[in-house]
Amino acid sequence: MKRLLVLLLAVGLTAAACGGNKSGGSAGSSAVTISNEQGTTWTCGFNPFNASVSFLSFGTEYEELTYVDGLKSGKTTPWLASSYAWGNGNKTLTFTIRKGVKWSDGKPFSAADVVYTFQLLKKYPALDLNANWSVLKSVTQNGDKVAFQFKTPAVPYFYYIADQTPIVAKHIWSSIKNPTTYKDDHPTGTGPYTMSSCSPQVIKYKKNPSYWQSGKPAIDTVYYPAFTSNDPANQQLASGKAQWGSQFIPNINKFYASKSPDNHYWFPPVVNVAVYINQKDPVLSNLAVRKAMAYGIDRSKVSQVGEYGYEPASNQTGIVTPTFSDWLDHGLAKQVGYNPAKAEQIVQQAGFKKSNGIYQTPDGKPLSFTMINIGGYSDWVASAQIVAENLKAIGIKVTAENLSSQTYDNDVYNGHYQLAYDGNQTAGPTPYYELRSLLYSKGSAPIGKTAGSDWERYSNPATDKLIEDYAATADKAQQHAIVTKLEQAMVDEIPVIPVTEGVDWYQYNTGSLSGWVTQGDPFARPAAYVNPDWGVMLLHLKPKA
Amino acid sequence: MRFVLRRLGFFVVTLWAAVTLNFLIPRLMPGNAAIAMMARYKGHVNPQALHAIQIAFGVNNHQSLVSAYFAYLGNIARGHFGISLTFFPDTVAHQVLQALPWTLALVGVTTVMAFVLGTLIGLVSGWRRGSVVDGALPPLFVITSAFPYFWLALLSIWLFSIKLGWFPESGGYEVTTTVGWNWTFITDAVNHSILPALTIIVTAIGGWILTMRNNMITVLTEDYVRMARAKGLKPWRIMWTYAGRNAILPNLVGFAMSLGFVVGGAILVEFVFNYPGVGWMFLQSVENQDYALMQALFLMITVTVLLAILAADVATAILDPRTRERG
Repeated sequence: MKRLLVLLLAVGLTAAACGGNKSGGSAGSSAVTISNEQGTTWTCGFNPFNASVSFLSFGTEYEELTYVDGLKSGKTTPWLASSYAWGNGNKTLTFTIRKGVKWSDGKPFSAADVVYTFQLLKKYPALDLNANWSVLKSVTQNGDKVAFQFKTPAVPYFYYIADQTPIVAKHIWSSIKNPTTYKDDHPTGTGPYTMSSCSPQVIKYKKNPSYWQSGKPAIDTVYYPAFTSNDPANQQLASGKAQWGSQFIPNINKFYASKSPDNHYWFPPVVNVAVYINQKDPVLSNLAVRKAMAYGIDRSKVSQVGEYGYEPASNQTGIVTPTFSDWLDHGLAKQVGYNPAKAEQIVQQAGFKKSNGIYQTPDGKPLSFTMINIGGYSDWVASAQIVAENLKAIGIKVTAENLSSQTYDNDVYNGHYQLAYDGNQTAGPTPYYELRSLLYSKGSAPIGKTAGSDWERYSNPATDKLIEDYAATADKAQQHAIVTKLEQAMVDEIPVIPVTEGVDWYQYNTGSLSGWVTQGDPFARPAAYVNPDWGVMLLHLKPKA
Repeated sequence: MRFVLRRLGFFVVTLWAAVTLNFLIPRLMPGNAAIAMMARYKGHVNPQALHAIQIAFGVNNHQSLVSAYFAYLGNIARGHFGISLTFFPDTVAHQVLQALPWTLALVGVTTVMAFVLGTLIGLVSGWRRGSVVDGALPPLFVITSAFPYFWLALLSIWLFSIKLGWFPESGGYEVTTTVGWNWTFITDAVNHSILPALTIIVTAIGGWILTMRNNMITVLTEDYVRMARAKGLKPWRIMWTYAGRNAILPNLVGFAMSLGFVVGGAILVEFVFNYPGVGWMFLQSVENQDYALMQALFLMITVTVLLAILAADVATAILDPRTRERG
């Protein structure tokens, strides 16, 4: 008995001693480790048309035609296409394909690969994640040029076609029987990195020595470990084992920034987190109620208390600032601010009477709603609680209901809710993309049917018309004028109440590497989960001398 | 023999009931896999992708529940578990086989160790009631067993890996190590498993100690023990073959069940330590409404628990002649 215990103790101590020698960063100077909790282990599949793994290959192995910077209002950088031009009343988009690019297996890349990629998406709608073929009519090759014909003018679709569609090799993909279930465990791409090894726990990327941007990339190896929960991922950043983070870290200054003078973070806002208001609800369809709520929410308190100040307060126009500040109509932005007295005035003027501290509609229904949110997002739970307190103070009772994410999403997609605390809409290179996903009724669906966007079921033909007009113009001034009118609709009709601005989570360590995205030089969206932007970031990174 | 046959019959009926529930319960959840998948992207993909994912996953291919049930039974019989939607397009079998060795090594070994250690401590402290061992170990481990697991685990990470730096804080191995059967990898993997293993043992051992000690005390008052003493047998012989052998019987079924649950993994352990195993995969499959993966994991747990109980029944029959006679 005693002997056994001694033996066990000895084994334990030896192992501990072995461990002691090995700890400490063993990554060489020319490697970068990413810490980004995706809540999953890796499948070691890299199919760039599989939405659950595309972020692991699109940007490193697979590349886009033109890079579009979402933090610089869509500034373009030629990539696999050396140039592009709109023609035929914005119904034809022509790319000139770059020469001298090679696939990682050594075969030359050409315009035929581009055409093939889009034919593949047409043939297999399950791969067409951006619904390109809902607007495309044809894609044809003419020498080194590829022409995209659209059914209607489709300027915003440039982003999806040029920046969001990874180009794959015809000579590989044409022999694949079922591209939808194709795993693509050894991707052949044009990008700066190739997959070197993969296990469920970590992917190792190796530099592509014959990459077309000569002399790049400067970093030899990229490690991408899989994290299933937040704390270990945050710990890797704090200990310096990982240099590039895309993490939500509570109390970041103490936990991360104070650990090393080389630790930095920046959270650029990209999309709103908002209270969705179900427009089909009999009481909430009353504009006065929605307006009172918009005046009743103290957005800066939600930002400071609920979101640790990481996510700045939003404004009612739906324009995320400072990212898209030059699109913002400052007059409109100031129109609806925190003003509880005005909020109560609005409902009183609409004929609502207070009883037991809660206003009632003229026909006696109390202003009492449930607001669903995702119980797993602790910051949103706190934020929703503050929103509920704010609204209670102006005589509107809101009960926050914490749901599991699948129940929550099911309710939001199908319209089975009154209020929802949400950030489901997708960010784009200009504010138009978010506004369209909030306001375009043709993306919506009746209650009980799954809606792909416009989850609050807002519908106004004039707004739909504005959204379609934007698609027909490549002129910046006109685009700005249309977005201003959309801001007007947000302020006048309150389809949703933007509360805070969702950000790209981004931490970086300047100890051994330079070239990071900074607030002063936002050349790419800096979160590792944004593609193809993470490839652009990796191309900028350099080991420090 | 009749005893074993009756047990086998019971096994088959339970298995059928479990397999059927396994099919029905996941389907009572709201939503579908495509929506769950969209939820996982947190807005990082175009909302239009929902349509593409629905086509890829076939969520709109309405199949009647009855025909789905029979297809499911047929697939299980043939060992086809389908494609996992969480790990699309990988097969369920491949994913489970990848995670299972980690779980078996960590949870399996610690379950056995906790049982063996706990039983030994319980045996000795029951035998030497009032001794130093009896006064110190059982109360200590009963207290540690009462700690919430995640709290103890977080505390030990903070102390042993962050403050003292003795053990790595998470993962199954260092990301820069290459996986393979070589010494570097094996020591690295063992090193990563010590902290999770210790926390499991410390929280699991108390129950075994307590029950074993109590059984021991009850058995020691039996006549046959007094008889053995009267015969002048050596104390260790009385402890092992008279008292111990009988005292362990009630614990065997419990041990068998916990062995069966080993394949279910340890969700909290794997979550806190970011350890690659089946338990976490289980959670994932539920969150993503991945019926195929969920069913395969449930089935695996059910079958192993049932088999383990069957084995325990047989073992009890061997160790304790009384059960045989009654059967």
